[in-house]
Amino acid sequence: MVSVEKLREKVKGILAREDIKYVIGYEKGTYGFRVSPSFAFTQEDADRFIFSPLCANNLAVYPMLEEKLPLRRDQKEDIRKVGIVVKGCDSKAVLQIILEKGMKRENVLLIGIPCTGVIDPRKIENKFPHQAENVDVREDDDKFVLIVDGKTQEIPKDELMYDKCIYCENPTPILYDILVGEEIHSTKKEDYEKIKVLEEKSLEDKWEYWSKQFERCIRCYACRNVCPMCYCKECMIDQLTPLWVRRSRNVSENTAWNIMRAYHLAGRCIGCGECERACPMGIPLTELNKKLEKDVKEMFNYTPGKSLEQKPLFAMFSPEDPQEFIL
Amino acid sequence: MLTKYQVYGPVNDGGVILFKQVRDASQLDIDYTNSNVPPKALFFGQTETLFKFSLSPKVKIEAANMPNERVVIFGIRPCDAKSLSILDKVFKGDYEDPFYLAKRKNYVLVGLSCTRPGVNCFCTSFDKGPASTENVDVLLTDIGEKYYVEVNSDKGEELMGGFKNLFTSTKSKDEKIRKEVEEKAVRAITRSINIEGAVDKLDNLFENSFWKTIAMKCLTCGICTYLCPTCHCFDIQDESTLTKGARVRVWDSCMFPEYTCQASGYNPRPERMNRVRNRIYHKYNYYPKNYAMTACVGCGRCIDNCPVNIDVIDALNRVGVAGK
Repeated sequence: MVSVEKLREKVKGILAREDIKYVIGYEKGTYGFRVSPSFAFTQEDADRFIFSPLCANNLAVYPMLEEKLPLRRDQKEDIRKVGIVVKGCDSKAVLQIILEKGMKRENVLLIGIPCTGVIDPRKIENKFPHQAENVDVREDDDKFVLIVDGKTQEIPKDELMYDKCIYCENPTPILYDILVGEEIHSTKKEDYEKIKVLEEKSLEDKWEYWSKQFERCIRCYACRNVCPMCYCKECMIDQLTPLWVRRSRNVSENTAWNIMRAYHLAGRCIGCGECERACPMGIPLTELNKKLEKDVKEMFNYTPGKSLEQKPLFAMFSPEDPQEFIL
Repeated sequence: MLTKYQVYGPVNDGGVILFKQVRDASQLDIDYTNSNVPPKALFFGQTETLFKFSLSPKVKIEAANMPNERVVIFGIRPCDAKSLSILDKVFKGDYEDPFYLAKRKNYVLVGLSCTRPGVNCFCTSFDKGPASTENVDVLLTDIGEKYYVEVNSDKGEELMGGFKNLFTSTKSKDEKIRKEVEEKAVRAITRSINIEGAVDKLDNLFENSFWKTIAMKCLTCGICTYLCPTCHCFDIQDESTLTKGARVRVWDSCMFPEYTCQASGYNPRPERMNRVRNRIYHKYNYYPKNYAMTACVGCGRCIDNCPVNIDVIDALNRVGVAGK
């Protein structure tokens, strides 16, 4: 597991540089098992930084959220770098945004964390639903060690870990400037078992399943806002002329929103699962994303977030591309 | 009750607790902490049709039906019931909202005392606790084998009058257990804020750099406002095809940049900081100034569901509003 002291030391070193605006990392949350994104501007701020198996958030979203307000005549654009603490999956998001030209490589400084799997907040909060006090969680080989109310208990990692971590192929960030700790390699492979089961269902069953899920959607757009890949200046859902999706909340409009969101991420989603984590209505959004990921892989042999040499899927064409779906 | 009224109660829908119409008592999930979406949605729906229109052969406008169903909201928590009293101020304010008010008049609130408050519950910070009868028509408290029933209004009296055969009179032992249940729930609430003087303190904190700090992590999604039992902002849209359509009222959120965006393109709340600050000021400063009540009931939903751990208790503590 990553040493917090080492992380803070590296962040402090980075903050001492003049070309750094601030560093985004994690700090202890305000209650229970929560961890909070943290912004360090000064050396003291860096002392708040932590890294633990609870650090699920993909911080790559933050540089994309930064407001670029019009400059006044005497103002100059701040071109200093933003430091971001990234896990394997998070680094894929940064990489994909860079190759889509959503941000420039030189504008970010990546502090890589070789990650051995993070805890799914839903799984742990289901186990300890009334834990208000902040607790300590660390990792010990294939177990998580939890200190809850002074009592230490061990839980096998697979019981609490995100599904995405169980199949993680890139625990070490693909893209980083500074690595905290040693590189780790994974022999795991995504097998899409869950998606295959869904694929085999009949059209009616699929519709029943998804319409039940989408019926719950409250259109808070947390799935979009938490997603580092959703960085359009103006989202189609917010447009009024033309009105692509009505504001009314019903199965039809909700379905349109959820499907459009997923399709806009085809060949772009790097599978961090933040949309599903953020969803307050428990909609299994990663299933949609995974299905598209699988299709893109099978049809175009393309995996997003893999290398800076790659082009975005929709910026490529090959005569061998499958065309059966074109009428 | 199901034969005479439409009954809405807490139902587990794919792991999420929602207030839905029930046709059979077995559908109810009575052991819930609180619903994910507050029952305000039953009074102030996320989508409500105001009127329908059609253009051909002639322009025709068809008013929406006024809600007149006899509805029982079963199992509403005292905090959420209180939120309706807070919303009343708005919907009975300068403009009377006929849809909301018709429902408030017809719907009977059968409350259920909290026995297992959630981690972020802090209703006791607002003087009304987990077993307050104040804003419900009837309050049920689980005292083991039976419910302790308290009727608090004529509407409640009328409802309960139909089921007289189900009740036995209370004994002093029952009263004692009810008190114990309430005290136990109060003890289980671990978080609190002290909002005394919050209005004046916030008056002097508007330009504080703290708002920028907290807003840096905000994603400006709609979770905190949509799931807040007292948030009540809406947008009005015409949704139509070429020949017919409807004017609908839908929830809106001050967290969205479009919320304040003007037709010219100018946005008076351009940054996340402006919007995060507005949400907190609206609840703890503007609302108390306008209506002499805090627009927060301490249900903790905004804290529970925030994907980036923005915590209103912590925020008010850190900015020096609460606790000092």
